Amino acid sequence: MEQVQEKQRTEEFDASEIEYVSYGGEHHLPLIMNLVDQELSEPYSIFTYRYFVYLWPQLSFIAFHKGKCVGTVVCKMGDHRDSKFRGYIAMLVVIKPYRGRGIATELVTRSIQVMMESGCKEVTLEAEVTNEGALALYGRLGFIRAKRLFRYYLNGVDAFRLKLLFPQPEELHPFLPTMADRDDTQNHDDHSPREEYSELHRHL
Amino acid sequence: MDRHALHQPSSSSSSSIPATANTVWTDASPLLEVACKDLRDGELIHVDNFNLYAAMSALEIMDPKMDSGIVNRYCSVDEAIEDGVAPVPISTDKTTDVQCMIDIMDHLLTCEATWHKGHSLAQTVFSCAYLLRPERTSSHALLHSYCKVIRATCKAVITVVSDARTHEEEDLFTMAYGLPLTPSSKRKPLEDIEPLQTNFDLEEGYCKALLCRLRFRKHFFHVLTCMRRPQGRGLELARKHIASCISELGVILKSAEFLMSNAHGTCEDATEDRTTASGHQAIGFDASLNSRISAPTPPRSIKILSWKKAIEYFEKLLHDLDIMCSYPLDPSLEVLLRFVAQFQKAQPDLVARAHLQLLLVQDGKLYGKCPMFSLIIRAARLPEVFLHHDIQKNEYVVQLGQLVINMLKILCTNAAWQRRKLGKILQDWRVIYVQIELAFRKDFGEGSSISNGDNASARILKHILIWVDEQTYWISHRFLILGFELELYSPSEYCMVYWYLYVVLIRLAEKTHLKMTVSDGSGKYTSTSCMFSFQGQRPELRSKNVCVV
Repeated sequence: MEQVQEKQRTEEFDASEIEYVSYGGEHHLPLIMNLVDQELSEPYSIFTYRYFVYLWPQLSFIAFHKGKCVGTVVCKMGDHRDSKFRGYIAMLVVIKPYRGRGIATELVTRSIQVMMESGCKEVTLEAEVTNEGALALYGRLGFIRAKRLFRYYLNGVDAFRLKLLFPQPEELHPFLPTMADRDDTQNHDDHSPREEYSELHRHL
Repeated sequence: MDRHALHQPSSSSSSSIPATANTVWTDASPLLEVACKDLRDGELIHVDNFNLYAAMSALEIMDPKMDSGIVNRYCSVDEAIEDGVAPVPISTDKTTDVQCMIDIMDHLLTCEATWHKGHSLAQTVFSCAYLLRPERTSSHALLHSYCKVIRATCKAVITVVSDARTHEEEDLFTMAYGLPLTPSSKRKPLEDIEPLQTNFDLEEGYCKALLCRLRFRKHFFHVLTCMRRPQGRGLELARKHIASCISELGVILKSAEFLMSNAHGTCEDATEDRTTASGHQAIGFDASLNSRISAPTPPRSIKILSWKKAIEYFEKLLHDLDIMCSYPLDPSLEVLLRFVAQFQKAQPDLVARAHLQLLLVQDGKLYGKCPMFSLIIRAARLPEVFLHHDIQKNEYVVQLGQLVINMLKILCTNAAWQRRKLGKILQDWRVIYVQIELAFRKDFGEGSSISNGDNASARILKHILIWVDEQTYWISHRFLILGFELELYSPSEYCMVYWYLYVVLIRLAEKTHLKMTVSDGSGKYTSTSCMFSFQGQRPELRSKNVCVV
């Protein structure tokens, strides 16, 4: 899905003033929706939001500054092929004046923490190949570029499938991921059927 | 709902949609209101299998971002035509009519290029109302025949791409439901020759401008039909048409000066974004005309390529097709693989790649003439006498042939998809190796030295095994190298990738060397020249930052 991370004019604040809250219920939903709607051009229906926050409320976080919602991360997790329990970061947004200060990193980190504790083996997401901010953020967190998805987004831009592999205690060489791990057997078409809905690939 | 309500005149202010034999429209607002009042916050009526896919494809009706029906100016093409969107003739003034005709031709070219680049046919080429109602243009000879050739060209291109179909890249491209692509059979008799338009001074300029555009269309259509001829028989002729196309494109470009300076009206767009040579907006186009058949995708405005960029696109396409046409259809797999790898470096677009794939694999044979078995025999450096050996019927050998076909098709796809698929087929190549090896051991025992002429089957299998090994390493090598082109590796990972490449290339060289020494020694290539060709790949790796292990 989409990640927004460009640096522009900033708001003055101290990092300690940012409050991170786990998704708490229906009252948080319009905040998340407004944030994502205003920053992203793709339309997500209310069903989409509800799908994520109702099934995995513990994976979504909101950042507040003095009572104002300034950022959010929305995720899911579940069984994947080869019975790999995998986390997925669907949306990540921080409003422009608050970017470049580590809020997004903090949001993502909290979510990944919960995923790890819940038994996920890995975390994935898609990001535009031109989205340098997101690629740098996730790169710093240890995500690798597992695949390139041709013309994934409707404006014709390619995407990287980013993947973070959690070290598994039973592996002999946890620091040498094999090439097979990077590029697993998953097709992105198992998120949505290919034929008429290729445009929806953008959202997944 | 009260049935009687259906027969009362509609009280709502929405535009009335006439009832037909199969449909009657009724107002569902009251029902929805009741339902809304009844549902609590966050409550959703859904079935158990309402998953993410269902959520994603759900629309909020009347939300302009999601509902294709809400943004239309017109409910249908016919309504747009009634509103005067696509007049025939385009103008009563002959000069203006010609100018507009040329604008339409130019804009169609940009739409076509935009379509080729991966947007929907319905929103690009068929945003032209003239194309959507073919029978309307019959009184305007030029417009009518031009529309015909556009439809025929689109149909030919769609056929090529869907015949080459390997994966989802082609799906959006070939979606043409409900669009009038089949040509009508009527033929009009030739009309008397008359001047194009009334301004004598401008006649030559407009004739030239029109002529080059018509000629381009004709030659381009011939390129497509020539290239489709089986077994590459039409390639030489295709090259001639390609050359004509390119020359006509040059004349088209030059016509811009004349067209811009004589453009009708005052509003001109001389910027790089303009979609016509004259700078004028072409008449008769509306991208939302087909939004109903473009559903269920959300409404989306497409940026049509500029006129200059469209010409550049066609120049590149023709150039790529020309390279294909000049390829001598070498029966050597090694030469072919090198050609395909080189061809892909220019990042050809879908239409070019689809043509390549159809050229290489037709009817399960290479170029439609060489059976896979003969390809394998040559690749394994076995003497030609084995070309008719019975072992070609062996199930594993047949399967191996399929793997080669599959590999060739994959090598013609876009780099991103290609790499993923190459990674997956490595497994298949390994499995076939094991299967053939087991069969070899079962039939011929463990002995590694087989004397020539003694047991042909054993010799063939042994050679094939070595070649399968070599080919597997070749695939691995390509898989790794493509990662650089796709920017998958971060600098901190280069060491790891180089290490894998080193291992793979050493093995590849070993297998190639082994293949040479085991064969008759009649091969043209020595093992050293192979080593050098692999080393030739190294410079592009050295240009990145290397951390020395």
